[in-house]
Amino acid sequence: MTLCEFSLLPEEEKTALLYEQGVYIGKRKRGGTTVLLYQLEGFYAEVYYRQYRRVVDRIRCFAGTERLDPYLTEIDVEHLV
Amino acid sequence: MTMTKYTTSKHIVVYADDDPDDVELVQEAFEQFASNVEVITFSDGSRALSYLRNLAEADPLPCLIILDINMPVLNGKETLLRLRQLDKYDNVPVVLFTTSSMPVDRQFATHNNAGFVTKPLGFEQMEMITHSFIDHCSEETQKKIRRMG
Repeated sequence: MTLCEFSLLPEEEKTALLYEQGVYIGKRKRGGTTVLLYQLEGFYAEVYYRQYRRVVDRIRCFAGTERLDPYLTEIDVEHLV
Repeated sequence: MTMTKYTTSKHIVVYADDDPDDVELVQEAFEQFASNVEVITFSDGSRALSYLRNLAEADPLPCLIILDINMPVLNGKETLLRLRQLDKYDNVPVVLFTTSSMPVDRQFATHNNAGFVTKPLGFEQMEMITHSFIDHCSEETQKKIRRMG
């Protein structure tokens, strides 16, 4: 499955695929919206929620690591120090 | 001496997760059974384990223990291993409730006599998961919860 193939799927199929095969990377809040980040094969997919883990607003996918920065700041490393 | 901690006629579900959004989600999921089920939450495995260890003989055992895997202090896998060393929790069902869908985590759960449920991504999965949690309870408990839900 390539990024291009994934982006053409209906939203329900995207969600099902991420649920079954996606690797959870992180979570961030953007205003009142919660966003979950998953990795699927060679790309990433962000799930934007209207209602957390219930109502998906949209799914945005991308390759490359530039858009991972917001998630890195959310990682709590305090317990590692 | 151990004090009695809890007196309730409701079935108790113990849930440990450090993510407040997921805690709220599970509490909401059990709301439909609120007349019969009480969800007691903890922010890490260590706190849940401490509560469970200190239950007195007179206290009702939980009908289900739900553990997130990735938690600070004591993660869900370690908590499960320690629980399985306690005789009184031999027959209490435990579910690892996690963002992971990795076979290695699923195998760990199976090997330690626990269920494995991946956290949902959408509404339909959430509905299934609520019932999946209850499916892990004993048959008698399932009947009682569903009858009074």
